[in-house]
Parts: sequence; C-alpha cells; structure tokens
Amino acid sequence: MAICKILIILWYAFNLIIVFFYSIIKVKKKWDVLKLSKILTEEEKLYLKYFKIIFTVILFFSYTSSLSAKTKITWWNYSDEGGGLDSNLRELVQDKFNASQNEIELEIVFKDGNINDNTRTALLAGVGPDIITSSGSSYVKAYHDAGLLLSLEKYSKEYGWKDIILPWAYNTGVFDGEFYSFPSNYETMLYFYNKTLFEENGWKLPTNLKEYEALVQEIRSKGMNAFVYGSSGWQPTHEHLVGNYFNTYAGPENVYKALTGEKKWTDPIFVESIELLKKHMLDGYWSGSLENYYAIGWDDYFSQLTTRKAAMLPIGTWGFGDTIAGFSEISDEFGWSKLPILGNYGGNPNYQLSIGSTMSINAASKFPDEAAKVINWMISDKKRVVELTKNLGFGNWLIPLKYDDKDFSEDIHPSMRDFFIDFSETTGKGDYGYTTWTFYPAEAGSHVWKEMEVVWAGDISVMEYLEEQQKLWDKARSKNALIPVGKR
Amino acid sequence: MNIFLSSNFIKWYFLLPVLIIHFLVIIFPSLTSLILCFTDWNGFGTINFVGLENFRELFDDRVFKKSLKHNLIWTILFLTIPIAVALLGAYLLTGVKRFQLFYRFIFFFPYILASVVNCLIWKYLFHPMHGIGAYFSSLGFDFLTTSPLTNKSTSLYAVAWVDGWHFWGFLVVIYITAMYQVDESLYEAADIEGATKWQKFRHVTFPMIRPTFFFSILIIIIWSVPAFDYVHMLTNGGPAYSSEVLANFLYYEAFYQMKVGYASSIGALMFVYVFLVTGLFGLFRYLGWDL
Repeated sequence: MAICKILIILWYAFNLIIVFFYSIIKVKKKWDVLKLSKILTEEEKLYLKYFKIIFTVILFFSYTSSLSAKTKITWWNYSDEGGGLDSNLRELVQDKFNASQNEIELEIVFKDGNINDNTRTALLAGVGPDIITSSGSSYVKAYHDAGLLLSLEKYSKEYGWKDIILPWAYNTGVFDGEFYSFPSNYETMLYFYNKTLFEENGWKLPTNLKEYEALVQEIRSKGMNAFVYGSSGWQPTHEHLVGNYFNTYAGPENVYKALTGEKKWTDPIFVESIELLKKHMLDGYWSGSLENYYAIGWDDYFSQLTTRKAAMLPIGTWGFGDTIAGFSEISDEFGWSKLPILGNYGGNPNYQLSIGSTMSINAASKFPDEAAKVINWMISDKKRVVELTKNLGFGNWLIPLKYDDKDFSEDIHPSMRDFFIDFSETTGKGDYGYTTWTFYPAEAGSHVWKEMEVVWAGDISVMEYLEEQQKLWDKARSKNALIPVGKR
Repeated sequence: MNIFLSSNFIKWYFLLPVLIIHFLVIIFPSLTSLILCFTDWNGFGTINFVGLENFRELFDDRVFKKSLKHNLIWTILFLTIPIAVALLGAYLLTGVKRFQLFYRFIFFFPYILASVVNCLIWKYLFHPMHGIGAYFSSLGFDFLTTSPLTNKSTSLYAVAWVDGWHFWGFLVVIYITAMYQVDESLYEAADIEGATKWQKFRHVTFPMIRPTFFFSILIIIIWSVPAFDYVHMLTNGGPAYSSEVLANFLYYEAFYQMKVGYASSIGALMFVYVFLVTGLFGLFRYLGWDL
C-alpha cells in the first residue's frame, strides 16, 4: 500500500516537473503549452503512453484496495530501543492487537528525542496521532486546556475503566469532571539494599530519623557509601530526594494540604524537611559528597550496589529491572523497602504516587471509537499487561491496575510480585504520598529540581527557595493550571 | 509579462523551491519568535499580548544575568585559548613534511565526532571513580579527585575546555589553508634577511592570513552566543547555574517551564546581540579597516 502511494506521488511529481520545465521553455518561445506532442518524437510518445498506462493501473488498484482497508489508528510513543521498549510494544501490543481482529490496524510510531516536543508541534498543527503519549499530568493539563484532547468519559463508562484502574491514578486524568488521560506507567520511590551485606553486619532498616542517621554513620565507618545516587545525565533527579523528604518528614497529609492550598510551602514543617535534606546532602549521604552526587549516573548505581561500594540505593521502581539483573550475577541478595519515616508527621510508611507516562485520544482524531478500542484492549487482560512490563524490567508500562496474586505468572521475580501486591494494599489503605513530577504544575515542578542545587550551594536559603516555590503555586492557582489531586 | 520571462527572472524560478523551504524553516519561525517575545504563550493555549513584560522580568532575572555573564566569559575564553592553540598548531604543521595529513587528521578528528560522543568521553575521563582522577589516586597522587564539571568554581571552564578541544581542530584547518596561500617568496626573502621562526610568523604569516584570522574572530563571537550542546549534555547549566548560558536557559524556560513567550524574549536579545556584532564588523569594513 505504501509503495503504491509512493509511486502515485512520484507519477504526479514527474508530470508536474515535465509540465513546469516545458511550460517555462514554451512560454518563453511562445509555444502552445497543450501541444506537448509537437516536441516529442514518435518513439518518445510511445514510451510516455506505456508509462501512463502502467501508473494508471497502479493508481486504480491502490484506490480500490484502499476502499477495503482496515481503519488505521496511529499511536506515537517515545523510543527506547536499547531498553527493548520498541520491539516489545511492536510484538506484544501492535502485532497481537492487529492479529486479534480485522477492523482496525494499529501502527505504533516511535519518536526519537522528546515525545512531548514532537506531539505538541503536531497537535498545534491540527494533525498528530490518534493516540497521544505524554510524560505526565502537567502535559495532559496543558493539552486539555488548549482543547487538544478528546474526553474519554463515555468510553470509561462503556468499558468500565474506573473500576479497573487504581482510583488515585484514574483521578490524575480527570479534568473539569471528565476523564481525559489514561496512565500507562506508574512509579514510586523505594530503597534497594544489599540484603546479604546487611545480614553480615547485623544492620536493620531504619524506622525513624535517629536510626536512619545512625545507620548511615555505621555504614560509612566500614568505608562504604551509605547511599549511591546521583544526577549525572538527569538533573531532575533532585526532585526524587525533595519528594522523599517532603513525604517522609513533613508527611503526606501536609503535602496534600499544600497541594490543595490549605497550607503554604513556607510552612515550618516543609522548611525543616528541606533543611534536613540539605544537611544530609552536604554530609555526603549520597555517593560520599555533593560533587560525587553530581558526577554519579545510572551506570554507577547498580555497579556500586553490587560491588559493595554502597549499601543502599534510593530509586524509583524503574530500578527494579537493573537491580534484579545485577544481583542475578553475584552471590549477594538484594532487598527492597518502603522509605523510612523521618519525621513525627510522616505517618505510616507509604508509597509516593506517580504517573510516568499517559495516553490520551487526539481531539482531531477521525476514529476515536477505534482508538478507544485499542486502549481498552491493552488493559483488559492484566496478564498481558504484566507480561509486557516484565519484558521491560518493570521499569516501563507498569499500568496502575488493581492487581492480585492470580494476575502474575509463576516466572515473575518474587520481589516484583510482592511489590505489586503490597503497593495495591498499602495505597488502598490510604498510605500514599505525592511525587513532585506528577502533582506539581509545570513551573513549580521544574523549579523544585533546578533551584535545589542553588540551595545546596548556599546561594539562597531554604526559606527563599520555598518562597519562590509558593509564588509559582500561587501563579498556577490563579491561572487554574493545577493538576488534579484526588481526595484523601 | 516579458519581464517575468526574462533570463534574470528565470533564475529566480529555479531558486524558488529553496527559497520557499528557507522561508518556512528559517524566516517564518524567526519572525514568529520575534512576535512571541511580546506574549505570554505557554506553547499550547491562547496567546496573550503582554507588551514588554517579558523583557522587564528578564532584566530582573538573576539567572539571565548570570547566563549573560557566562556567555561573555565563554566568548573571551574562545577568543584566546583555541585561537592560540590553533595558530601554533597550524604554523607548526606547515613545517612538517612527512605524515602531515595524519597530524591534520589528529587535530581535526574531535571536530568530526558527534558532540554527544565528545561529552561522554570527557564525562568518563573526569569521573571521580573511574576517570583520570581515580587513576592518579591509585598511584598515590591527589589530582582531579572530583570532577571539574561538578564544582561551581570550575564547571564553566571545564565545559569550555571540552568544547574548545573539539573546536580548535576546525580552526587549525582554516588557518593552515590560509597559511598555504602565503607566497613562498616572502619566506625566502625573510630567510635571506635572517628572520627567526617567530619573526617570520609575526611579519609574514600573520599579516597575510589576517582576513582569515578576523573571519575566525567574527564566527567565534557569533557562535559563542548560541553555545548550547556541550553545556546541556555535560552540566545542564549546573551546578547551581554556575555553567548556565543563554541558549540552555532559553531551552529550560521554553520546554520545562513552558514559557515560550519568555524564552522568545531571550532569543530576541541573542539575535540583537549577534546583529550588532555583525553590523559592527560591517561598519569597520565600510570605514576601510583591513579586516
């Protein structure tokens, strides 16, 4: 089909070029444009005749075959060939969906670079894919405000999505009372630690600030880094630490109040949280020093954890795949844990909620019903969802559905299964916090990590940092640019 | 009608496709950007005209002032070290008879590598745990134990070093080409006079390559303004904006803060600066300065 279309385009282009150049020459020499045959030899006329017949036949067949073609649905997603995303999505989603029915042909197009930049440009031009991928709620909010997204409310009711998706995840896609975006990946923050190392040294995971600080000193006295973590290659890493300290020191209840405007970010509890983070950072909790933290990147995390140069790694669930892979090659075992509660208002150990990526339907899509069918197919079989995310090391396509034990096959790593189940139970009980990259509006969200370095450098105080943060929240609130936060 | 069919006009018809592409890809977006700098557009929704508000906010923005200062430092750094190294390298290369092409390739090689590759190489060389510093530590020397890219006082210079390392090969090639244009008889005359190598460079080579030299000055000043890729990949303007430059700041404002109008005002000021510099060079030429 594509070859036919290319040939048709070439045929028309060929005709246009011939007419263009000959008309220039003929007009200049005052020749009649239509009497093309007067300047060709008999042999040339015969060749041109055969040329036209062949392409007319191709044109005829391509149009007749297009009448019986399936409805084509395009979906743009970011590319991560190295991580296996492209091949897995093609094999487990595109090919399987296309093989499962005869009405719709799904084509997933993988975009290099920033998917949001590509998508934004296309949407503003009134084109773009039927199914849109974005990096999170702040983009969905912006697209929704610009009228670029189709409401999925009727499809949600038809297919029962509200009953399948975890409530907090569903709510992040609700704007003005209607459902617009579907979370295709959820994440949270945890600790991975070298369990064998802990057992050999008699260390226990901390449950409060005193134990946390004591454990760090104990580990460092053995010549290791307490935590390996760093921002090389991804400066927004700082927001992970800010979110961790907000949710474990100030506590999710206070964070919720600040998100909804009931409390200000300049409240003493948040100032204390960031002062504590600053103290720990300058004490070298992560990778030994502030300079090393800036120099350490993804490659170093797992190599340091598996070679006992560091005891713990505070990272998101996207670290599961490489942690499992790294420890499978050594005799040490790893463990994982929720973050310890560091402050009196921290509440119970909790999971911070985060949406890593979203899917929506383009308001300009000509086939929204078919696009909704594709989305529904993807989440209707939880085993298929788990198989896809398993192939991607559980760092991607962890769709926030209500999982239980029977949704997992026997070959899933026990740590992963335990996490999935514990996450559903813990968040179901209400023990959850909020990540900055999901629940903060764009300006405030990027201010969190960009200005954190300035605080660590001592160029501005913690209070000045939080005052700037509060100003950005006030600005977003006045422009109705906040991300929806479901009721606790 | 006859004017449009004259041979002068026919040329424009053949240039038309290229001009259309140039208009759509360069001129139209540039004009749009100049208009957007007077708006508060976030890249998605409605565009509201805000007058000079973006510029007022910009001149109060501490990060903008820091970025501007860093761009000026960047320009000074690139007008000195790469030029000095390139002139020296090119002059020495003209005296090399055997394997000259190989040496030229060595100098030029970093320039043809993708900037991503250059950045990765130097990030690993500067790495505190498995770079040069770690190697010297294993020998008992304390040298580069922390990456200069992660230190506030050295980050800008470290990024400029990496970019300069990649750039001076380009300068070597253009200088060496200019040096080969110099008439050999001038060097012979200088030899007869008993001139030293330095005197030959100062009184023969440099005056003869002056147009190329000033051209290189102009392109360095102009190219220093949109310096972006090495800063973005090595430090992203950090730590704490110590290596922030205008182009990286513009990118952050446009794509992370979603303040396209504000970012466009930064772009407008960059354009004005380059326009003034180019105009200045043109003025000097018009006044008869031998540039």
